[in-house]
Amino acid sequence: MLSIENLRVVYQEVISVLQGVSLAVQDGQITVLLGANGAGKTTLLRTVCGLLPVYDGKIIEGQVLLDGTSLNRLDSSTIVRRHRITYVMEERPVFWYLTVAQNLKAAAFSRWDRQVQRDIERVMEIFPKLSGLRDTRAGYLSGGEQQMLTIAMALMTKPKIMLLDEPSLGLAPLIVRELFGIIKALNREGLTVFLVEQNAHAALSVGDRGYVMENGRIVLEGPSYELIRNKDVREFYLGAAGAGQKRYQDAKRYKRRKRWL
Amino acid sequence: MVYGLLGLGLVLIFRASEAFNFAVGEFLVVGAFLFYVLHFQWRIPLLVASPAGLGAAALFGALVEGTTIKPLMGRPALSMTIITLGLSNILAGGLQAVAGSTPYQFSLRLPPLVLDLGDIIFPSPRLWAGIISVIFFGLVILFLYKTRWGLVIQATSESQPKALCFGINAHLVLLLVWAIAAMCIAASGIVIANLGALSCQTSVVGLRAIPVVLIGGLDSIPGALVGGLIVGVVEALTGAYLEPRGLIGFKEVVPYLVLLLVLFVRPYGLFGTVRIERV
Repeated sequence: MLSIENLRVVYQEVISVLQGVSLAVQDGQITVLLGANGAGKTTLLRTVCGLLPVYDGKIIEGQVLLDGTSLNRLDSSTIVRRHRITYVMEERPVFWYLTVAQNLKAAAFSRWDRQVQRDIERVMEIFPKLSGLRDTRAGYLSGGEQQMLTIAMALMTKPKIMLLDEPSLGLAPLIVRELFGIIKALNREGLTVFLVEQNAHAALSVGDRGYVMENGRIVLEGPSYELIRNKDVREFYLGAAGAGQKRYQDAKRYKRRKRWL
Repeated sequence: MVYGLLGLGLVLIFRASEAFNFAVGEFLVVGAFLFYVLHFQWRIPLLVASPAGLGAAALFGALVEGTTIKPLMGRPALSMTIITLGLSNILAGGLQAVAGSTPYQFSLRLPPLVLDLGDIIFPSPRLWAGIISVIFFGLVILFLYKTRWGLVIQATSESQPKALCFGINAHLVLLLVWAIAAMCIAASGIVIANLGALSCQTSVVGLRAIPVVLIGGLDSIPGALVGGLIVGVVEALTGAYLEPRGLIGFKEVVPYLVLLLVLFVRPYGLFGTVRIERV
C-alpha cells in the first residue's frame, strides 16, 4: 500500500502547493484523484516518485510511505528500480526522436534481466496498434498512439504501482474509452493504479476509490460509486448541474464550494 | 577531420546538457598532457598508453561534470555555460602552474605515410591525424547508435525529466556523456599536439571548435563532421594560396567568415534542428 501522510510541499522555498495531503492507494485497486488545474495533483505525483528536486521543490512536512518504508529522500531511479513505482507524466512523455521500438528499449533501461525483448512483444500484444508502428519516430504518432506508447513504456519498467497523470488529456472520447478499458484490464492482472484525472466521469467509472483535491488539500474522499453520485462532484466535475434550478439553491452551492477552497 | 572530432565533443555535451563547453581548449590540453605523461615520461608503450590516456581524460571529464555541472541540474543552461567559462580560466591557470609555459616535444612514432596529390601534399603526422580522428569518430557513433547505453544517451539528451520518470539514471548518463566528450576532445588534442609540440598555448586550437559546431549546427553529430571538414579545408587552402599573397594571419579569420555566411542562410547551422517553440 502506498500511503501519503500529511504531505506539505513548497516550490522554490516559498510557493506552497500541497498543504497537508493524506491519502492511501490500496494494492490491486484503481485509486482516482480528481482536481481542477493548479490543485496540486501533478506535484503530488512528482513527490511520490522523487522528481521534486528537478523542479526545485521540497517536502517540508509529512511523508510518502510504501508498505511502511519512507520514500522521501530517494531519487527517481531507485524508486522505479527498487520500489517498482512508475510515474507516467502528463502530456505523453515519449522520446520524440526515437522510434517506437527504441522508446520501449530505452524505457526498459533500469532493468538488468534478459527478458526485455519478450516483454516488448508482450506490450505489443496489449497495444496492437503499436506493432505496426515499430520503426516510426514517436514524434510522428497521433496523440492516442503516443499515449498508448507511454503506457507501454511504463509497463516496460515492470511496475507494481503505476501513477498516471491525466492520460485522457487531449484525446477523443472514443480513444479515452479504449484507454481506460486497457487500464482496467491491466489492473485486473494485478497492477495497482493511481489515476489522476480531470475527466471525472471516465475515471470514476473505472476506479475503486476516489479523492477530490482542491488548493493542495483533499476535500472529499470515498468509494467511486459514491463520489459519482455526490452532488458537488456532479456539479463541479461532471458538469451536471440541472438547468432549471432555483437561484437560492445556486447560492447554497456557491457557499459550499467556498467552504472547499 | 580533427576539428570534426573536437566538434563532436562539444555537440555531445550540448545535446545532453544544453550547455556550450567553453573550456574545450583546456580539456584538449589536459587530455594531451595526460597522454604525454603516460607515454613520453613514463615510457608506457603506445598501445597501452592511448587507452589509458583516454581513460584518464574520461575520468577527468566525469570529475568536472560531477563537481560543476551536476549541482546545477534543473537550472537554466546558461548558468552551466557560464560555469564552463570560469572552469576554462581555472584550468588554464592550473595548467600554467603545473606545466609551465614551455612547449614539450611531442611526436608519436607512427609508420610514415605520405599522400601526394600534386599540389597538395599530406605529410605523415597530418595523415595519421585524419585516420585516427575518423576511426575515433566512427567508434563514438557506433557506441551512440548501436548500444543500449547510446540509446539512453539519446533519450536523456532529449529530455531529462522524461528519462528520470522511466527510471533512467540521468545523472549517471550525463556523467558518461561528459566522459565520452572529454575523450573525444583529448583524442583530438593528442593528434593536434603530434603535428607540432604541446604547450599551454595549444588550447587556442579549442577556439577553432566554435566555428566548427556552429557551421554544422550545435546539436547535430554529422554536422560536427561536416563542419570540421569545412573549417579544416578552408583553413588549409587559405594558408596555401592566400597567405603567401600578403594576407598574413588570414587563416585564423576565414572559418569565421564561412560561419557568417552559413548563419546568414541557415541560422541553425547546416544540420541543426530547427526548434519549434510554441508560446
